[in-house]
Amino acid sequence: MKQLVTLNINGEQHEIAISPDATLLTVLREDLGLLGTKRGCDTSACGSCTIHIDDKAVYACVVYAMSAQGSEITTIEGLGENGKLDPLQDAFIEAGAVQCGYCTCGMIMSAKQLLNEEPDPDEEQIRHAIAGNLCRCTGYTKIVDAIKMAADSGQKGQSS
Amino acid sequence: MALPELKEFCMPATPDEVASLLEKYGDAALFVAGGTFVHGLEARGFLPGVEALIDLRKLGLDKIEKGRKGVTVGASVKFAALEGLPDLDAPAYGALHDALSYPPAQIMNLATIGGCIAASCPFYDVPAAFLALDGVVTVQGKNSSRELSIGDVYAGLFENSLEADEYISSLFLPKQDSGTSSAYIKLETNANDLALVGVAARITMGRKNKISDARIVLGGGLNDTHKRSAAAEAVLNGQQASDTLFQQAADAIDADISPISDHRCSAEYRGAIGKVYVRRTLQQALQRLD
Amino acid sequence: MSAADIIGKSVLRPDAHDKVTGGRGYPVNVRLPGMLHGKILRSPYAHARITGIDTSEAEKLPGVKGILTHKDVPQKRFSPVFFCPTGAKSLVRDLVVLSDRVRYAGQPVAAIAATTEAIAEKALELIDVDYEELPAVFDPEEAMKDGAPQLHEDAPDNVAKNPAFEFGDVEKGFAEADHIFEGVYQTQRVHTCYMEPRVCVVDCDKQGHFTLHSSMQHIFGLREKLAYALDIAESRITVVKPPYIGGGFGGKLDIGYIEILSAILSEKIGRPVRMEQTRYEDFITTARHAIKVYLKTGVKKDGTITARAARSILDTGAHATHGAEVIVVHGLFGVTFPYKCENKKWEGFTVYTNNMIGGGYRGYGCPQGCFAVESQIDEICEELDLDPIEFRKKNSYQKGDPHPFNPAWSLNSYGYEEAMDKGAERIGWSNRKPAGSGEGTRKRGIGIGTQGIWVSGCMGFPDIYEHTGAIVKLNVDGTADLASGTVDLGSGQITMQTQVAAAELGIAPENVRLSYADTDTVPFDAPTHASRATYSSGLAVKAAAADAKRKLLEIAGDIMEASPDDLEVVDGEVRIKGSPDSAMPVGQIVQVAESPFIVDTGEGYEPSSPPQHKGTIIGTSSLAPPENPTPATALFVEVEVDTETGEVKVLRCVYAHDLGKVINPNAAEGQVEGGIQQGIGYALMENLVFDEDTGACLSSDFLDYKMPTAVEMPREIESIFIETNEPSGPFGAKSLSEQCVTVPAAAIGAAVYNAIGVRFKELPITPEKVLRALGKL
Repeated sequence: MKQLVTLNINGEQHEIAISPDATLLTVLREDLGLLGTKRGCDTSACGSCTIHIDDKAVYACVVYAMSAQGSEITTIEGLGENGKLDPLQDAFIEAGAVQCGYCTCGMIMSAKQLLNEEPDPDEEQIRHAIAGNLCRCTGYTKIVDAIKMAADSGQKGQSS
Repeated sequence: MALPELKEFCMPATPDEVASLLEKYGDAALFVAGGTFVHGLEARGFLPGVEALIDLRKLGLDKIEKGRKGVTVGASVKFAALEGLPDLDAPAYGALHDALSYPPAQIMNLATIGGCIAASCPFYDVPAAFLALDGVVTVQGKNSSRELSIGDVYAGLFENSLEADEYISSLFLPKQDSGTSSAYIKLETNANDLALVGVAARITMGRKNKISDARIVLGGGLNDTHKRSAAAEAVLNGQQASDTLFQQAADAIDADISPISDHRCSAEYRGAIGKVYVRRTLQQALQRLD
Repeated sequence: MSAADIIGKSVLRPDAHDKVTGGRGYPVNVRLPGMLHGKILRSPYAHARITGIDTSEAEKLPGVKGILTHKDVPQKRFSPVFFCPTGAKSLVRDLVVLSDRVRYAGQPVAAIAATTEAIAEKALELIDVDYEELPAVFDPEEAMKDGAPQLHEDAPDNVAKNPAFEFGDVEKGFAEADHIFEGVYQTQRVHTCYMEPRVCVVDCDKQGHFTLHSSMQHIFGLREKLAYALDIAESRITVVKPPYIGGGFGGKLDIGYIEILSAILSEKIGRPVRMEQTRYEDFITTARHAIKVYLKTGVKKDGTITARAARSILDTGAHATHGAEVIVVHGLFGVTFPYKCENKKWEGFTVYTNNMIGGGYRGYGCPQGCFAVESQIDEICEELDLDPIEFRKKNSYQKGDPHPFNPAWSLNSYGYEEAMDKGAERIGWSNRKPAGSGEGTRKRGIGIGTQGIWVSGCMGFPDIYEHTGAIVKLNVDGTADLASGTVDLGSGQITMQTQVAAAELGIAPENVRLSYADTDTVPFDAPTHASRATYSSGLAVKAAAADAKRKLLEIAGDIMEASPDDLEVVDGEVRIKGSPDSAMPVGQIVQVAESPFIVDTGEGYEPSSPPQHKGTIIGTSSLAPPENPTPATALFVEVEVDTETGEVKVLRCVYAHDLGKVINPNAAEGQVEGGIQQGIGYALMENLVFDEDTGACLSSDFLDYKMPTAVEMPREIESIFIETNEPSGPFGAKSLSEQCVTVPAAAIGAAVYNAIGVRFKELPITPEKVLRALGKL
């Protein structure tokens, strides 16, 4: 028996009928066509599904969509404004941090929380912030570079 | 990956609503908090017959209240919110500080205090610290509530001692005596791993460098639940702190461990690391007081 | 902008913008109207006969549209491996899509298509299968013994393949040796862990034409294999080339059960069928083979190798698939070719067991060989007090030597020694201390691992595809469309192709766009594997671009009244050499060629004098590369061992690699850094583990299968690219991407020895093994 749920995603309200045990991951992908959040495993360990609930990075695959009512959900599609990319997205491109790209959106969402809370992180803080995100292509080096680059550009933006 | 018999996802707002849901579904109801443990069980096919999921987040159990005697943390409080605990940087809370440094952000933002204790999972880190800090939970039933020490919550691997109509509503961490320090170390293969071995140590240092009120909590695969080592604690209490004493306490845990062997590592290895970690956590706790 | 401004520059990846905003192009995103969802029922038993299978209850479930068992599918035996035609002698055709004989735990026994995934999953539980369990064998050497269960009728002693090579006279060589070293080296099964799961959507239309979308490393192989398995003409199948896929690493180099079963279901039902594997299914679908190497080397006291003899036992699991070829590559490149020595002998066995089927994985047999060969050299040097770098130099090939794989080729570019020298300097090799000599409980060590002979593609293997093509079409706005069958796995094929095409054409890389491609519309291309894309696909793209440019200059010559030989393309403009003012934008020339007989002067259209050549400017190529030039690699690592817990941490890596010419430095570094992540996982923690009695996989999710996160990686990874300018390669390039995965285990093993004086001959080197070896357990 499907249940009605209203979800606030990237600032928009969506009212949909879903299975009571549907996760946010399946709802985003299958009901709402938001394909940027990805499935890479089945046991909340790979991070490809990372999104924000109330600005906090979480695994969409373990959040029951029903639980997410009343929260502000942000996916990769919600980053950037007025056609401009988020500084993290720019940095990932510039630093060469994107290879197959499957982990990329999850990485960016994890990094986004870090930079929101710690605008000038050191390398260890960056690596810990993405410890819940697996990547098989990059060895993480340029992902760390990209996050530092985005942090630095944020710092410059602040002081100018 | 679905729960095929699931009929309803519920978010009750009062204990009465919880009670009537439990009335309706009985054993076929399952509480869910952050969801990480429930999904882990679901992924491995351990949840047949669940007809209702009861999400506790609307019950208002998300407060942290500091009082004279200690701090009360609501069961729905997330790990990340504990980083705002006033005493987290104090040596006494070292074990909790250390335990919270391990999980990746996504777990910090989802996992709850109530959930991680009710899971009765020895591979978790944060409950080890709570046990070392003498945490006491309040368990809410249909008509009444009761208190349990964390150790008494555990009935076995993934089994808690709560009745079917009970849920954890809060955790109380008593104020720690001055001169108290603690630490926690975990053995993991990568940074997103459950504890292969986890040890928490708490000591209170008195005059003449003597230890009182020691807690040694053994976790990971050392037993099927988090468990204090009475033998190690007996070695420590009343004695002067030294590396030799710490090694003796470490060796004593053999009486209190029944480690598992699995495809990750053997019981023998776990036991050996358990001892190394008892020594290291004691050393770290002592160092924190400097 | 000249070629020099494009080749060797860290041009931004054209696909990055799409990927950072969500990534539309993954096959996992494909949805077709009316699509059904498929699921597979898998055997819990490792070895069994299906004596009955009853799907009647499942058929009744509303929403179920089709069910397949072994009774419903062709029983034609095939090999799923993409890179050879299915009938090739190298391959062993021992697989049928659904069988009544189960040979590994997890083998598909039935498939269902239903209107939702949930219904398909529920229906699986309603299928009733009667199994007669058979005795199983899980160890390849046990499987080779008399009395072991026979897994395939035509493989006595369960040996699917038994290649052997011999050069010179090993008896004489060993007789000449001052010392003989023998060792047994065992590597483990690991998974590629591509992050995008295996997934496909197959749509059979009313005329019986199949269209496939799949996360695979080869579109033409997929077509050929499906045609073979279903016994239909290839022309009835179109495989769409995905814009890119989410990782492959060799684990998507064979047709899966999902593609074949989805095709059969789609044809039967008349609707598209989608199947996406769970992570558990992916873990048991493909793995790097476990190989046991018995290695014997004879050396003179000055370190000259006089003879080498080896025997390798490869556990291929239930079916030969890639095991048929990995054993050969392993035997040749992993064990025999490294180091010059006249007297070599090797024998390999690809052995059936009731384990999961192995597959391709970066290095393809070489990592297993490199670990054995390099570890033994390290041991030889310790015993005989020889410097590990000098030893390798003494026995290495030299530039100009005949290539061991094909003596008709020469090593025209060879930077092996330079790689070792440069790497040694950067790691501080001269500061290396004697093994185990550090103080304290945390001990550090430095080690080296090298690979002197590898491939840039598959030239030289007679029945492996090695030709590629491309189509370059010029547009009226001065851009170029590039159509190519080369699948981008994430390793940067798109970027390389745009750079090569742009450099050849004389336009900016951002003006080259990868366009739609499928097996109907582009020339044949071999898979993206064997480190071949830059060398082979690069050559094809360069040739197609050159063809387009030739045609462009012919037309330009008509318009500008000059000989094409006097024209060049610079910065997107055609001009007479030495006369920059004569420039005409490429787009304008295209426009004149394509338009009716008028030209856009910028102020309106005016009649044009018709050039002799009219039409769309398209350049094409379809070619085989001339050779198979070898890269050369040396990796130096520094590790720290916690001797109280056995944990090994990799602190620093210096990776030196002769790749001929760097096309894109940032992308090349990225390949190295990623390869080192895989290499560290292989050396220290990754292991696909199975129940000893039932063969069930115990490590089929990321909770139990551990690979390095950002926290476990060394904080310093330095890449040194040595440019020896390979004459046969596009702009001098040869290959990069596999060796960075091949060498880490050997280098880490050597570093651990240097740290604690204990040698490991088995992977992974886990903390428990270290503690045990230190005598502390």
